[in-house]
Amino acid sequence: MSDVKPTVTQCVGPVYRSEDQKPTAVVSTGVEFDTVTILPQTPQLIALLSIIRNKNTQRGDFIFYSNRIIRLLVEEGLNHLPTVEHTVTTPVGRPYGGLAFQGKICGVSIMRAGEAMEQGLRECCRSVRIGKILIQRDEESAQPKLFYDKLPEDIADRWVLLLDPMLATGGSAIMAVDVLLSRGVPEERILFLNVLASPQGIQNFATKFPKLRLVTAFVDQGLDEKKLTNALSYIIPGLGDFGDRYYTM
Amino acid sequence: MPASVTAESAAVLNGTAAPESNGTIAKRAHYAPPWADVSIIGIAGSSGSGKSTLSHAIVNKLNLPWVVILSIDSFYKSLDEESSRKAFRNEYDFDAPDALDFDVLVERLRDLKAGKRAEIPVYSFEKHARTDRTTSIYSPHVLIVEGIFALYDPRVLELMDMKIFCEADADTCLSRRILRDQRDRGRDIEGIIKQWFAYVKPNFEKFVDPQRKVADIIVPRGVENQVAMSMVVQFIKEKLLEKSTHHRAALTRLEIGAQSEPLSEKVTVMNQTSQMKGMNTIIHDIDTPSENFIFYFDRLSALLVEQALNNIPFIPADIPTSQGRTYAGLRPKGEVSAVIVLRGGAALEVGLHRCITDCKTGRMLIQSNVRTGEPELHYLVLPPDIDKHEAVLLLDAQMSSGGSALMAVQVLVDHGVKAERIVLVTYSAGRMGLHRLTKVFPEMAAVVGQVVHDIEERWVEKRYFRC
Repeated sequence: MSDVKPTVTQCVGPVYRSEDQKPTAVVSTGVEFDTVTILPQTPQLIALLSIIRNKNTQRGDFIFYSNRIIRLLVEEGLNHLPTVEHTVTTPVGRPYGGLAFQGKICGVSIMRAGEAMEQGLRECCRSVRIGKILIQRDEESAQPKLFYDKLPEDIADRWVLLLDPMLATGGSAIMAVDVLLSRGVPEERILFLNVLASPQGIQNFATKFPKLRLVTAFVDQGLDEKKLTNALSYIIPGLGDFGDRYYTM
Repeated sequence: MPASVTAESAAVLNGTAAPESNGTIAKRAHYAPPWADVSIIGIAGSSGSGKSTLSHAIVNKLNLPWVVILSIDSFYKSLDEESSRKAFRNEYDFDAPDALDFDVLVERLRDLKAGKRAEIPVYSFEKHARTDRTTSIYSPHVLIVEGIFALYDPRVLELMDMKIFCEADADTCLSRRILRDQRDRGRDIEGIIKQWFAYVKPNFEKFVDPQRKVADIIVPRGVENQVAMSMVVQFIKEKLLEKSTHHRAALTRLEIGAQSEPLSEKVTVMNQTSQMKGMNTIIHDIDTPSENFIFYFDRLSALLVEQALNNIPFIPADIPTSQGRTYAGLRPKGEVSAVIVLRGGAALEVGLHRCITDCKTGRMLIQSNVRTGEPELHYLVLPPDIDKHEAVLLLDAQMSSGGSALMAVQVLVDHGVKAERIVLVTYSAGRMGLHRLTKVFPEMAAVVGQVVHDIEERWVEKRYFRC
């Protein structure tokens, strides 16, 4: 089985432009899970991804543009939360039949790259509670291992937005979900927000948790075949190590 | 050096860019801004007869931002070396019509009459030459052209709606001239008097005085003449009212047929997702505390701007990634700037800067007249290279009839921005307003948070700025 899917190249742009007026670009690989939402492949999103993928992009720009993508992910993710009909009176005195948000939420970031998504979350949900989970690869077994977690006490009563920008093999994301499930969070109340995924990661994750919703900006071609025995597998074409680029590079 | 355009009265002064407007497409609806047929008032008279004092008095009395004074002195020809030497010896005849470049004046007046922007040369009286700078005049409703030869060239006369000739006693003229030239133009008394008898006086009889024959009104005693002042002011007021009536009637005509047709495909109305509806509900709720209103409005406006940015042009780009691979992506074709329609548009600025931190931002103030509801342009500053930007986002919080949006787009087009590069971004808009706008400018795109009633009070900016 090949580890790399063929690329999907298509014209991107607003509907009112004809095909020849729209530039072509590689868009997200499709997936066959109903629980997986891929952000609309707009030219703006492709351009934002192009900036953060570029190895020559400086850290300041990387932070700014990845934050823009993360905000779009959060906005899309929040659409999966329940609402209830709600009518209000407008400043001009008319009634306005709208919706009110329902249910308590919290964020949980998988350290450390997931913490880079907290700013975007806070820009959409003020004063949101944020728990943290530290998962690291065990030096000997190369398997992910839980090192630390600190989660809201009432997490079982909340909707959980799980944050991790990269989904390669899915190993740590699966472990993080297991932690949440063990704390009593129902699977269907977890939303996984992700910037870049591999088809394999999606496959592993979505098969394991058929009721858990995943929102990603882009599904890449695959995983690096040259993966060393106990090092991380990289998504390709990818964007490098998100945490390094956001925090230290 | 006297200012060629008085700053306090100039409707809109701006510093660069080609004033060429767009090509037009057949079948589009036509919109003419209220400044398209500027009324031109000429004020001529002998040097020191009180022309500029009268002009300023008229401007003060009208107290409107759309009255601009244009001094013919700005159109003095630059002198060659020999003439320049003569000028410094006070032997050059500045008081003959030949010293003025009427061709340029006529050209500029015709541009203004067509509603375009005009670059006015800046003349230095100390150096006897045109400077490199120009001042631009844009969108006056009334233009006062004053100068000793304001009523001299028949091509200029043709463009004028009212012609005034100022008369004053010769002694008064000379004394005023001495004071002015010494104070403002750096001359000495001896030189001024030499000029007076050698050129000013003979020229007056030969060229200046005959202009009274073509004048509509002859005003003796300048500003002291209250009756004449009132007549002129009354005439201008009538002209302005006439223009406003025409403009509003034209706006009404654009409504016809709008209701039955579907919206232009270039208008994107935001998907009413549950988050969008939830945010809209909070924003619409009169009981929402201000900090929540501002928070949710900022969040929503960032989404509007993100959506708007899908309308800008992109080009393919091969991106090298850290994994040594190449990704076939996109990059913006060129610079994107924004123009805020004050004050409502400023409520979208936080959202704008969340997407483009260093976005160049122009601003214009368009206010609806309290009595007539007619939109009026009060203030305009645009990035100097705006005509070279690949896209210009035009931000306004709300749009109801579309009158101010039409005016705003017209202003951008007049400053060289192609209509297809303009993307209007607004939180809410009426159907009729959107129709009007896209009928007149079918090439432009619009991103709208929600489509609402046709006529809605501007409440968003009041809530956002809390006053």
